[in-house]
Amino acid sequence: MIKQQFEISAGYKKWTNILLGVGGLAFVLGVVFLGMSKDELAQTRFWSVLLQNSTFFLLVVNASMFFICITTLAMGGWQMAFRRVPEAISSVVPVFSILALLVFVGIIFGHKHSIYHWLDKEHVAHDPILKGKVAVLNPTFFMVWTVITLLIWSFVGAKMRKLSSQADENMDQEASKKFIWGNTVWAATFIVFFGLTVGSTIPWLWLMSIDAHWYSTMYSWYTFASTFVAGMALVAIFVVYLKNQDYLEYVSEEHLHDLGKFMFAFSVFWTYLWYSQFMLIWYANIPEETIYFKPRMQGAYRGIFFLNLIINFVLPFLLLMRRGSKRNYTTMTFVAVLIILGHWVDFYQMVMPGTMHEHYSLSWFEFGMLVFYAGLIMYFVGRGLSKKPLLAVHHPFVKESLIHHT
Amino acid sequence: MSQTKYESQLREPLVNGNKTYGQVTNDIVHTIEVKPTRLWYIGFYVSVVLLLFGVYSVYREVTYGIGQWNVNKTIGWGWDITNFVWWVGIGHAGTLISAILLLFRQGWRTGVNRAAEAMTIFAVMCAGQFPIFHMGRVWMAFFTLPYPNTRGPLWPNFNSPLLWDVFAISTYFTVSLLFWYSGLLPDMATIRDRAKTKLRKHLYGIASFGWSGSTKHWQRHESLSLVLAGLSTPLVLSVHTIVSFDFATSVVPGWHTTIFPPYFVAGAIFSGFAMVQTLMLITRKVMNLQDYITLGHIEAMNKVIVLTGSIVGCAYLTELFMAWYSMVPFEQDIFFKYRIAGPYGWSYWLMMTCNVISPQLFWFRKLRRNVTFTFIMSIVVNIGMWFERFVIIVSSLYRDYLPSSWSVYYRPSIWEVGFYLGTFGLFFTCYFLFSKYFPVIAIAEIKHVLKTTGESFKNDMSALEQKGADSFYEEMHHDHHEEGSVKVAHH
Amino acid sequence: MALKKFVVGCFEDEKVLFPAVAKVRKAGYKIHDVYTPFPVHGLDQAMGLRETSLHTAGFLFGLIGTTTAVTFMTWVFTKDWPVNIGGKPNFALPAWIPITFELTVLCAAVGMVLSFLYICQLAPFVKRHHFHARATDDRFVMVIECGEKTNESELSSFMNSVGAIEVNTQVAEEGWWIGRYDQDQELYKQTNIA
Repeated sequence: MIKQQFEISAGYKKWTNILLGVGGLAFVLGVVFLGMSKDELAQTRFWSVLLQNSTFFLLVVNASMFFICITTLAMGGWQMAFRRVPEAISSVVPVFSILALLVFVGIIFGHKHSIYHWLDKEHVAHDPILKGKVAVLNPTFFMVWTVITLLIWSFVGAKMRKLSSQADENMDQEASKKFIWGNTVWAATFIVFFGLTVGSTIPWLWLMSIDAHWYSTMYSWYTFASTFVAGMALVAIFVVYLKNQDYLEYVSEEHLHDLGKFMFAFSVFWTYLWYSQFMLIWYANIPEETIYFKPRMQGAYRGIFFLNLIINFVLPFLLLMRRGSKRNYTTMTFVAVLIILGHWVDFYQMVMPGTMHEHYSLSWFEFGMLVFYAGLIMYFVGRGLSKKPLLAVHHPFVKESLIHHT
Repeated sequence: MSQTKYESQLREPLVNGNKTYGQVTNDIVHTIEVKPTRLWYIGFYVSVVLLLFGVYSVYREVTYGIGQWNVNKTIGWGWDITNFVWWVGIGHAGTLISAILLLFRQGWRTGVNRAAEAMTIFAVMCAGQFPIFHMGRVWMAFFTLPYPNTRGPLWPNFNSPLLWDVFAISTYFTVSLLFWYSGLLPDMATIRDRAKTKLRKHLYGIASFGWSGSTKHWQRHESLSLVLAGLSTPLVLSVHTIVSFDFATSVVPGWHTTIFPPYFVAGAIFSGFAMVQTLMLITRKVMNLQDYITLGHIEAMNKVIVLTGSIVGCAYLTELFMAWYSMVPFEQDIFFKYRIAGPYGWSYWLMMTCNVISPQLFWFRKLRRNVTFTFIMSIVVNIGMWFERFVIIVSSLYRDYLPSSWSVYYRPSIWEVGFYLGTFGLFFTCYFLFSKYFPVIAIAEIKHVLKTTGESFKNDMSALEQKGADSFYEEMHHDHHEEGSVKVAHH
Repeated sequence: MALKKFVVGCFEDEKVLFPAVAKVRKAGYKIHDVYTPFPVHGLDQAMGLRETSLHTAGFLFGLIGTTTAVTFMTWVFTKDWPVNIGGKPNFALPAWIPITFELTVLCAAVGMVLSFLYICQLAPFVKRHHFHARATDDRFVMVIECGEKTNESELSSFMNSVGAIEVNTQVAEEGWWIGRYDQDQELYKQTNIA
């Protein structure tokens, strides 16, 4: 008998608890020693780390819904055998939205102007550039647009997952057609809104406004590429885990190979955007723009700057190039973990130079929050996976996925 | 690997009309074996006349100099570079269809890839003319190549985006040509083996390189196509990226913006698909290929058009927003005084209407599947994309940092227009010859997907469609094991 | 290159072809080749052919391109003729990425295509014996080489029994030669048996 229903194993529970325990402890210690500290730098560190993790992991889990919607619009069939995995991952979006919202509330209403420079009204009054940007960089617009965004991501995502449940029941050809149509409409809605948020406004507000004077038109697409490739890596990790636990019988190495291609291709794509943004600023050498790379490339963050490139481009590129390695569980898991860590580091270097300046730290609290979020992902994704059968048996395209081969 | 072919019946067939392998060959090769229609001759001669006019325009420019054009020291890049970027952009669709859609497993690419690749090559040929003749002293064009010379030797500037272009365009042309021709080899052999006249047999014999259809050859051919597709995917991105660097590495307001590379690529795909639509809609009608280039193909391409059009729209708005957000007065002036308003404001709004607003109509399925509407839209899009480049180039140049050199209104001279028309002549002359002497549809590739997506074969899949996923999987698995046993029997 | 004797079986459908290939191999006959009008996936494995390593060649050619580009530009701008261009360092790596990339792709693609043509022995004016004129149209042609001990008529009827719709024996040149397709060069004889 095929195992269609995921049951959270004792081992899975144990690891979830360990991660949550360690991460939770780090968080509590962080609140006590950093968040409630009188020291401004400690507070900045506390909020910067929370901002980095909450935005990064929210965008990463939301990438799963992007993947679902884009394959739906492209009428893809191959992903059906494991589609419930990204569905389960995307079911974490509402949870992480709330967490991110709490962080934003803390920063905005706590007037943490060491994070967002533009929160300091007095400073803005004397800064003609920030004064000019007030129409966008103000608490009201920030919060309203953030809340709308989080609500719509959560709502449309939930709609897509609910639609998917219909495929657990048998349907005739007419019903199948209607089903595909419904999916297409909602997926299109999501993608359009995704373009208006992740593809443009949201990274400007959440991250680019840390370096409030600086601007780059590429920024949002760059952020998207970073989180999308990490999102695909997360899907791959869960697929491999489930395969190793004898679930997902229909998923073959062909499916894994295609996930590997996504990880490979989008690592290269991320590098392409990274290079385009960096090279154009380096080449034109306009001070207003190069200021962004000054601390990153020549200042305190020099090591992280190059680590970012090695871990997110060189390693995935070399490790995933061969066909065999994209079909190998161990290699794929290793590279997937690497990619997620790599883009976590990428977010780190996007946030910290603007808030912590040269006094950055990368120790117990930073890694503690990483562990905490890993635990949260395990907990909530595990719950999401156990709620539904692992295969939508009656999805019209499911059989194409079963005979998927190169 | 299972030999059972299956595809959901919800998908519409991509080859209509109950074809067999033999019929596929016949339908596609037939047009090569008969005399062209009157329409073909008319089109061909019109193209040749345009081409000759272009040759004369270029002759004027070469003998009398750049003064024959109305570009001046402020608007140094006018129609010529606009046309260059426009043609290169169009030249992106072919490789995109063959390479990226191959990697993304989009089955519908087989119907249109061959003609689109041919179109790519012709478009790149047209594009290359503009920067070459823009050099003025065209006989020194080879100075751009790094070869040991008597000047020191003085090397070209490898840091210059214009030199990157030389490498990018020539690499792109070479690789596209190789990709296209290696795909053509088997089809040339098909024509050769059917040929009734001696001359045709001889010529297609040469062109097919002695292709026999050997399994080993096919295996290598598949591997070659896959790797070339893998190489072409970043290549196609790199070409328009490098074209965008021509602008973006500068410090000219409106040009220096980091989003340029991906946004230029999206725009290139957008206009390339529009040109494929234009040609395909004519080709399928004139050559009676409605069974192979179906409404399904047209709809799929329209989806790509609405997607890329929207990406381009997102980029336009991003640029506008950033121009304001940057609080750099020069950026703000260019966008808000000289682009959306000012003497060239009309071209900005023409661009917006054609590229962003009107393609949104393709959200409606009915319009996506309407041949006449698609045809009109495909032309509208390419007008819009031409103006995009015009807007970028001219509106950033005509008001530069020195008000004394602000230029008067720029209108092209007859020889500038003639050069542009001439490239149309070149493009269509090549395309007409291609459609007469080459198979416009990839014969072998269509045969490869025929049993998955051919109309009659799809109808035969009802039994499989009724099966539950479990028993379906079981059956496939069974097939698999049976084939696996063959290997054991080897002795 | 020499003239050899072949038994040629012609199939109408790849579904029949696959079991036929298996049976022929099981019976111990040596399949010279199978000619198909389009790439039949899995046929190479069914015939027991080795995987091609053409892509490895492509990788190596690409590497040559990368190295050439980087070393050449480095030599030109740091040793041979250093120039100050826009205040950039002489070793301006970010500015060389485009050319390096293009040269990598160019070398990989050209190298692979030439390797492909070479190992398949394909070139203009090359001519081969074609066992069946419809092998590039709608027939799948299995060609079995006759050894000294092969019983032709037995093999022919065996071919019929595994589903070949047309069987004959041909004596033909197995390699290629320079020739024209519109001229008959008498490099083979055909004897109809079935």
